[in-house]
Amino acid sequence: MKVLRQNPLKYRFIILAFISVWFFNMGSQNLYAQKAKKNKVRLNVEYVKIMDGEAYFNIKASSKVKKKNTKVSNIDLSIFNVLEDEKILLGKSKTNSKGESKFVLKNTNTLQADSSYTFNFLITFKGNDSYKKAKKKISFIDANIEAKIITKDSVNYITATLFDANSNSPIIDESLTVQVQRLFNPVRIGEEFNNTDDSGSILVPIENGIPGIEGNLAIEVVLNESDDYGTVKVIVKAPIGISIVDESTFDQRTMWSPRNKTPIFLLIFPNLLIIGIWGFIIYLFINLFKLSKS
Amino acid sequence: MNNYDKLLKDLAPRKFKKLGVIWTSLLIIIIILGIVAYIDQLIKGQVVTNMRDYSLWGIYISNFVFFVATSFVGSVAVAILRLTHKTWRTPLVRIAEIITLASIIMAGITIMIDMARPDRLLNLFIYARLQSPITWDVIIIPTYIVISFLLLYFPLIPDLAILKNHFKEKSPFLSKWYGKLSLNWTGSEAQKAIQTKSVKIVAIMIIPVGLILQTIDAWLFSTTYRVGWNSTNMGAYFISGAFVAGIGALVVVVYILRRTYHLENYITDLHFDKIGRLLTLACLTYLYFNINEYLIPAFTASVEEEIHLRSLFTGHYAPLFWAVTIGGLIIPIIVLIFKKGRKPLPMFIIGMLVVLGSWWKRYIIVTSTLLHPFLPIQGVPESWHHYFPSLHEWLITFATLAMALLIITILVRYLPIIPIQRTADEQEELKTNKTTKS
Repeated sequence: MKVLRQNPLKYRFIILAFISVWFFNMGSQNLYAQKAKKNKVRLNVEYVKIMDGEAYFNIKASSKVKKKNTKVSNIDLSIFNVLEDEKILLGKSKTNSKGESKFVLKNTNTLQADSSYTFNFLITFKGNDSYKKAKKKISFIDANIEAKIITKDSVNYITATLFDANSNSPIIDESLTVQVQRLFNPVRIGEEFNNTDDSGSILVPIENGIPGIEGNLAIEVVLNESDDYGTVKVIVKAPIGISIVDESTFDQRTMWSPRNKTPIFLLIFPNLLIIGIWGFIIYLFINLFKLSKS
Repeated sequence: MNNYDKLLKDLAPRKFKKLGVIWTSLLIIIIILGIVAYIDQLIKGQVVTNMRDYSLWGIYISNFVFFVATSFVGSVAVAILRLTHKTWRTPLVRIAEIITLASIIMAGITIMIDMARPDRLLNLFIYARLQSPITWDVIIIPTYIVISFLLLYFPLIPDLAILKNHFKEKSPFLSKWYGKLSLNWTGSEAQKAIQTKSVKIVAIMIIPVGLILQTIDAWLFSTTYRVGWNSTNMGAYFISGAFVAGIGALVVVVYILRRTYHLENYITDLHFDKIGRLLTLACLTYLYFNINEYLIPAFTASVEEEIHLRSLFTGHYAPLFWAVTIGGLIIPIIVLIFKKGRKPLPMFIIGMLVVLGSWWKRYIIVTSTLLHPFLPIQGVPESWHHYFPSLHEWLITFATLAMALLIITILVRYLPIIPIQRTADEQEELKTNKTTKS
């Protein structure tokens, strides 16, 4: 107490010094946050059109963080239809945990192309605390594929024609892939590359013996990630496969089914045995009781 | 002293002498060690065992199969001999009944020890699937326990009434208990009729139930498609193996009790000769099924089967396999063929060999197959390719064996090991026959 009375100013100075250090620290933290380095986001966009189905963008967002490619999840993206002098907002989308987003183009008829019949789009990301803003342009010309199954000399073929949707003119020398849908990944039919001829067509034989449910095959003809047209796919369903016989015993009473599907004979005989044996056992216990009473 | 009093003096339960007390104490110590190991297993989980993803059944299951096999003696030695009216069975049946009950109780306990979560035992009943051999096993074991108890109890009732009177002055406490357990037995015609009928029913019933028990035990293995188990021979193979194990155990226990209680006048060389013949038959039958079990697969072996058989015949398990086959089966057959081999002491030695052989035989059946899995695991630790029980497993297994022996010891201490009433009746019958003839 004596000391305090001797020099009270000294302690006030110490408290002031503490408060100053605290404020300085707060400031330096803000400075640090401002200086935090933001990573670049790379947007990858693929246009996919399924004939008589939907058209959509497959958007993938990634970033190089500490020299490692990382999927960027949960970021907001805006999708614009770009015209010569304006941008029309089509909608917004968000990447999932895998850094992917599927943006379905609704009302494709309302989309507008430029004077060369090319559709232009812009996908933008505004940026956030961790990532810088980013954008990606994508352009394509609308193309269609028509396909059908034909049979010549007992051999089934798939014939497909690729043509410009606007002018209906055939698109020549583009590679189409023919494949049959399977549970996980499609299986290719014929050659890897089937280039369209002068009429924009291909003709691919379909081998016999491809299995399908009730003999139905879903055959796809795909123009894969074309620079000009994007990905265009047509699916033709045809009953030309071998019928898969469903051998599942799921609904049957089997030795390996759950107990509510126990085979009838297993319900009858073991239960008869159990009841029979335990019937005698109960009878014997009754006899023990009789013995004690007789 | 008349004949009846002599019978009572010879056959009524007696207090243990020094050796009996040491023996019982030793068993209790082994059991306590086993219980400590089991509690540790419950706390830490089955990681304390050497069972892993390959050898997921180990010594517990082979020990369980051994107990189940040994319990078959009740069906063979008691029921079959009773139904075929073999009179020489009289001094042996009670001992066989006691072994049966002790073995099947311990089989039930051993299977629970193998469960990592015994608190989930009730789920086996709640979620039972009749397609599963495990369910069949869960049903048949309690059933066999009850039948084994009845097989022991019904013929015991008249003796309990005799003991009630015998101990009235010597030990009123024991007499009271014998009285309660004898169910007011007076030996009236009505009581005799009920008892005779009940004994007959239980003797008939234990044969199919015993066969079902052994078969289910075999099917637990053969329904898994595993190499070494996937055999249509398995049911008969297990039944004949149980025949051997049961009779072997009976020979050993009968010999020890005969010496301890000086029962040479009741269990004679003739009994050993007869039971020796039965054991020879059992061993020959089992040898036949062994040949079936190994010879045909040796001819028709797939690659996996060949690897398995090679491990038995010339590989890792060869010393044990041949020791069990020769020591536990072929040598007993050779010795027992000769009359001198069916004398008490050689029979005891052969009985020991048979029991040891039976125990290790089940160890081979269980573990050698499991070490050759259908779907080998990639990058599996080297230790998983081998199995030898851990200290915990040995302690617990020895404790279960000690428990079986303790049950036998306690029952031997308090029950007449040779039926008193029946022996008296037989002696009376013999005397009457002699008088009639003269």
